[in-house]
Amino acid sequence: MQALLVFLSIAALSLLASSRALDPGRFPALARLAASGFLFVLLGIFLGPSVAGVLTERHLEAMRPVMALGLGTAGVLLGLNLEPRLLRLLPRSVYLSGLAHSGTAFFFVALPLLVPLVFTSARGLLGAVGAAAMLGAAASLSSGHSAVLAWRAGRLDRARGLGVALLTMLDDAVGLGVLALALMIGAASNVGEGLGLVCLALLLGVMCGALLAFLTHSLKDLAELTTVTLGGVVLVSGAAAYLRVSPLLAGVACGATLAVVGGRTSERVARALGRVERPVFLVLVFLVGCAVHARDYWAWVLMPAFVGLRFLGKMLGGRFARRLAQQTLVLPPRLGYALIAQGGLALCLVAEYGMLVPGGLSRRVLDVVVMGAVVNELLAGQAFQYVVDPPRSLSENPADSEKVAA
Amino acid sequence: MKGAVIRLLLLMVLLAIISRAQVLRADSGTPVMLAAGALLLCGLFAGKVAKGLGLPRLTGYLLVGVAVGPYALGFIPNAGVKGLELVKGLAVSLIALVAGTELRLGLIRRVGARVALLCAAVCGVTFLVCFGATFAIKPFLPFLADMTVPQALAVSALLSTVVVSFSPTVTIAIVQETSARGAFTEFLMALVIIGDLLVMVAFALAAGLTKASFGGGLDVTELLGGVGWELFGSVVVGLVLAVGMLVYMRGVKQELPLFLVGLCFAAAEGGTRLHLSPLLVSLAAGALIANLDEHAGERIHNAIQQAGLPVFALFFAAAGAGLKLDSLLTVGPAAMLLVVLRGVAIWFSCRRFAPADDPRLKRYLWMGLISQAGVTFGLAALVSRTFPTFGPQVEVLIVAMITAHELVGPVLTRRALAASGEIRADDAQGTA
Repeated sequence: MQALLVFLSIAALSLLASSRALDPGRFPALARLAASGFLFVLLGIFLGPSVAGVLTERHLEAMRPVMALGLGTAGVLLGLNLEPRLLRLLPRSVYLSGLAHSGTAFFFVALPLLVPLVFTSARGLLGAVGAAAMLGAAASLSSGHSAVLAWRAGRLDRARGLGVALLTMLDDAVGLGVLALALMIGAASNVGEGLGLVCLALLLGVMCGALLAFLTHSLKDLAELTTVTLGGVVLVSGAAAYLRVSPLLAGVACGATLAVVGGRTSERVARALGRVERPVFLVLVFLVGCAVHARDYWAWVLMPAFVGLRFLGKMLGGRFARRLAQQTLVLPPRLGYALIAQGGLALCLVAEYGMLVPGGLSRRVLDVVVMGAVVNELLAGQAFQYVVDPPRSLSENPADSEKVAA
Repeated sequence: MKGAVIRLLLLMVLLAIISRAQVLRADSGTPVMLAAGALLLCGLFAGKVAKGLGLPRLTGYLLVGVAVGPYALGFIPNAGVKGLELVKGLAVSLIALVAGTELRLGLIRRVGARVALLCAAVCGVTFLVCFGATFAIKPFLPFLADMTVPQALAVSALLSTVVVSFSPTVTIAIVQETSARGAFTEFLMALVIIGDLLVMVAFALAAGLTKASFGGGLDVTELLGGVGWELFGSVVVGLVLAVGMLVYMRGVKQELPLFLVGLCFAAAEGGTRLHLSPLLVSLAAGALIANLDEHAGERIHNAIQQAGLPVFALFFAAAGAGLKLDSLLTVGPAAMLLVVLRGVAIWFSCRRFAPADDPRLKRYLWMGLISQAGVTFGLAALVSRTFPTFGPQVEVLIVAMITAHELVGPVLTRRALAASGEIRADDAQGTA
């Protein structure tokens, strides 16, 4: 019955989030959190076991299949967004630029935070390395939604908006790569078995993706296409959860396979899946919020360090990225400020890590990243003002106008 | 159809691989989502294969569920199928909501009395035949053999009440699939719905008598209160839901399928916990909406057709996967005897008592009354919970009967509708 109440409250909050009650003019921070879905994270933290206790650990355990479904869906959508033709066309400098901003933030966060994690870890150095890597991976991720919204609203020119969005898409690969490494280290008794499990997840995703491409091929009826798509996503998520491998990685492999072999069908599948993307995402972030242990004081200590180090990493990484891509991409002068928003994938990474790697350290990683992501989302609104209203000396660069024209 | 067969086979190969891979893992996770995805996809393509073979899609859903389920090939673990109970409740509510929109006052005035009379006759004759047969084979049924005569009579009555029940779910799903419309279809749907109301009342009385025969005492007030709450409480809650739906449809005008799925989910879950009948709750809601606002009734009908395909495919495939084939072996002879007798009793009572003005009712109506599914499952589970000494054995017997009825019932229902000449389209989308 409590689960039912939770679903109903999500539905009510969803209606509220889309209503005029959250007017950006009156409550800008709240409106921003509602639009990005992070309001549901806060709702989850509030209703979860560590605060109000409406949902207990037992309820969360029973909702693990729903969480696996959310992670699998996110993975499939991520994989479907990969466009192999476009990726092949991108010059090396764009990849280097993406790697620069995400890699800098990764090292800025992972290396300093490794020290306290080693001292508080019960799983030894290897466990602490895995946890620090996950903190770094979550820090390396940025969300491009502010840039896209600013471009659509006419506050940022198209080339700059798309440039930022492209860089934030490329950092997803860093996050997923580190997740795979962290799972190899932490999800099994030895690294060889961990590698086997990651390969199993990818193989499962490839098989499901190929099958889904075949199943949806020549389906003309929209209801049937939607049903088969949903069935395929549920199958890959469910199979991964059943085999205790990563639904997120399996989903990415499934989506990417579908994008590669599916041809035009993959576009229709993406559209069909897009219809359930928002509700599934909201339920997922709500459950991630429920999993936060708000009374873990170490997490509260580490969180400001995480946010601060990430901020510095993004500022410096933004400069590197801008310098590396100056011949190929038009990027805003203060790129680092555009990369502060963290986005939902960071939550997916730590949720996945928390599900598959047992112990208090993975839980602490989740606590730090989830709370840090909320703070980053709030900071991002202010930070982006520096991107759309930069000092005149920085914005007037004649070379940029030539690249925009090109 | 060839394409659907190939796709179905490939799906089964993938499930076999996943099932083998699980053996290599020391600990496995929860299989609920695996069961949901596998049954949904297999059900969908099995429905296409069944249609290609001239069978109802629903039979395809059921058969593929049996095939991949825990009691045949074992690709889907039992825990996964059990975890889908929520989907079953949702599907029953959705189906009942659609059925309710068909129950217009005009129809009830036109055929209500005749349907009620025939229903009483069919249920009465079937009950007497099954009751007599069960009591006659008392020495051969382990759970009856050691009981005193009054106890055996009470338990036989209880068992026969459950055996009489029909399946509105299957009937409505087949009607939806075939887009059947006409006097025969209306009569059949009204009969299975009223039949189930009759069975609910009779079951409560039989359960009270059985408790009394085992020394539990007969509390008439409690008995009537329970029946009254289930029937009238369900109708009242259904009316409240109907008002909520009408307000939403007039105020929001968006995402109706999603809203209806959410509301039916709430009706199924909440109804069960409040000891109401989710079927009756949704039926009452649909009927009120259709009679207050015909246009709103049509909108609900169309909206559920959009959301119906995945829910129905999953529901019936899960029902197939849950059929305990091994129970057919243990209580097979007794169950088969009751299946045959029930069929003969229904056939006889329809031939004898159906209104003479429409010869189709005398000839074909019995075929539409053979199916058994959700309601019968629910009553069998209730017997098992209420009478722990003999209930589980009665449940096994009833489940064995349901297995047989689920496999032949949908085919017969479709044949009845085809013979009546009221099938309009053979490939209505978004339904069973």
